[in-house]
Amino acid sequence: MRVNPNYSADMINLMDQAQQAEDNAAQELSTGRRVNLPSDNPAAEASMIGENSRSAAVDQYTANSDSLTDVLNTANSTLSSVNTLLQRAVSLGVEGATGDMNQTDLNSIAEEVSNIKSQMLSLANTSYAGHYLFGGTANSSAPYVADATNPDQIDYVGNSQQNKVQIGTGLSVSANLPGSSIFSQSGANVFDALQSLVTALQAGNSSAIATAQTSVSSALSAVGTAQVFYGSTVDELSTNETYLSQEKLNITTYENTLVSADTAAAATNVTQAETALSTTVAAAAKMNQVSLLDYLQ
Amino acid sequence: MGLTADLNVSVQSLLASTESMDVTTTNMANMNTPGYARRRVVLEESAPSGDDQSSTGVDVKTIQSLRDSVLDLSINANTAQQNLNSTLSSSLAPIQVEFSDTATGSIGASIDSFFSSLQQLSTSPADASLRSGVLTAAANVASSFQSTASAVTQAQQQADQSVVESTGDANSLLQQIASTNAQITTAQNLGQSANSDQDQLSSLLSQLSAIMDYKTVNSSDGFTLTTANGVPLVVGSKAYSLTNQVNSTGFNSVYAGGTDITSTIQGGNLGGYLQARDQTLASMSSQLDQFAYQFAQAVNSVQTAGSDATGNAGAALFNPPDTTSGTATGAASAIAVALTSGSQIAAASTGGASGDGSNLTNMLNLQSQEVINGSTPTDAFSNLTFEIGNTISQANSNATATGNILTQLQNQQGSIEGVSLDEESSNLLLYQRSYQAAAKVISTVDTLMGNVLDMGVTNPGY
Repeated sequence: MRVNPNYSADMINLMDQAQQAEDNAAQELSTGRRVNLPSDNPAAEASMIGENSRSAAVDQYTANSDSLTDVLNTANSTLSSVNTLLQRAVSLGVEGATGDMNQTDLNSIAEEVSNIKSQMLSLANTSYAGHYLFGGTANSSAPYVADATNPDQIDYVGNSQQNKVQIGTGLSVSANLPGSSIFSQSGANVFDALQSLVTALQAGNSSAIATAQTSVSSALSAVGTAQVFYGSTVDELSTNETYLSQEKLNITTYENTLVSADTAAAATNVTQAETALSTTVAAAAKMNQVSLLDYLQ
Repeated sequence: MGLTADLNVSVQSLLASTESMDVTTTNMANMNTPGYARRRVVLEESAPSGDDQSSTGVDVKTIQSLRDSVLDLSINANTAQQNLNSTLSSSLAPIQVEFSDTATGSIGASIDSFFSSLQQLSTSPADASLRSGVLTAAANVASSFQSTASAVTQAQQQADQSVVESTGDANSLLQQIASTNAQITTAQNLGQSANSDQDQLSSLLSQLSAIMDYKTVNSSDGFTLTTANGVPLVVGSKAYSLTNQVNSTGFNSVYAGGTDITSTIQGGNLGGYLQARDQTLASMSSQLDQFAYQFAQAVNSVQTAGSDATGNAGAALFNPPDTTSGTATGAASAIAVALTSGSQIAAASTGGASGDGSNLTNMLNLQSQEVINGSTPTDAFSNLTFEIGNTISQANSNATATGNILTQLQNQQGSIEGVSLDEESSNLLLYQRSYQAAAKVISTVDTLMGNVLDMGVTNPGY
């Protein structure tokens, strides 16, 4: 069979292919990615879009958890102070209810309980980054204010709403507990209980002091329940963050299998392509050196 | 039989050798000429002469062009396919960057950031700086739609420009083909060789196949060139000129003698530009419009169902707002943020307090809802990534595949039509020897005739 005498097109084609293979492998090595453009691997790139989105969501869930943890910890430590103060009020009530004290002593105890009440008001109006922690979602102004007509009575002006924050796909936690579930539950109102204790102490009525002290105790246990909410939510966030970091790792690993360079293979490919190219070039240079014309005189 | 007859045979032989050497020279000279097929002299015994019919000289019967027209046709068809695919790929390449997962300002990335900013806001719904963060993220979503849409439009306009240029190129080739065709017909009618014209025609057809696909039909008037579906481009010596005309989409259509052939061009650069402009990019453009429109609508409908920081009903976050007309055309390039202050973000449900973030939950749920033609926003973007990537990747592999076929065919063509210097050199040697032999015979006959004439001369001159 007759052979195509014009082999240069073939040679150029082979050189192009070797050059292309070398370029691809070198690009893989330099970018660290096997897939750089959608056309390199459309399915992998399409998956990458989804994975990037998941990854961004996981980052955001983690950020949400972080900022929420700060808020909840602040609320929790506030409630710890509330707890300590109420315990002090309970023991003051127990002291006053013994009937062994004269009215002067009772008055000074009443004074201390009254101070506790004021501190309680300031704690209940604790704010974080400009927003009140215990006002429900009406958190732009102080949730507890002295009643206009009866200054001894503390009114709750917040609402009973809770905000939800997503900390995972389809997973959200309450970001706050309204004051109505902590300080001013019906039957366990902290301010009412403290005020009744103050009034009973000032009146020197032992049985009224004992009743008021019982009210303060129930308010104390209501605060304890609220503390459980904050503590367990912080725990949940911490557990969730561990899960999120694992999730992030999974996503990264999967992304790597989708698009990352196989460095060893790419390095081998560069060498192979380089060899192919130099052989082709060497062959092309050797060809056409002999012609029948050389021998014809 | 006689010396005179020998002389005649030798002269014929000299002429045949000369003509053969002419052909060899032509072959050697045109070894690199595009469209040239090697020629060879076809020799035949001439009619016998002499008393006993024993003297038989040589005649040049014809000069044959070793052209395989079926192979040429198949090479041209493959060239048209290869060019279509490589042009399609290179026309789309500039916009695929917009859909890459590493593109920082891509639609997908900005939508992710938008939802992240809403997430952040949900941790503290009354926070003014987080609210303006949402507005900034929304503005980024709008500008990513705009820049992607403008990249697509730009690619379409470039393809359109190239359509006009390619039409001009094809047009001038068609004119040349028609006049070459006329020359071939004339030569054939005169009984002359049309080899050179055929070579030229072959070169022109091969150039045309790089621009567009076509069909050829041989007829008594030379041949007819038509589009794949039979619209005539060249009939005999007449070329139907190709013209451009701006159509309803604002781009140029291609007309052949008054017939719109835009959709019938399925090969060559022209076919590639048209496919990129009218199919892939047009579909991208309308999908982006749908995407932008439906995304804006989905966000707006949640936004308007809630209350903003001042307790007012939420206003639409994006322009274009909800319309009943339902047309999305141009939405991707027109989308913009309609709100001016972060406090207008309707984080709260209707009547909610300023710190209420319950409407944000509905907004965040959009991320996993199939609000864009049955896909989530992320999936909608990822579908576009796949579509553009897959179109380019398929065009690339088609171009490579046809390239490989083309290499095979061209090798085959070369083995039939290609000029080999070694072969020509050895032929040259043969013709040289045969010329020398004929010359030798002539000088021998001359000597013999001299001897005869000298008979009876006592003192010949030697």
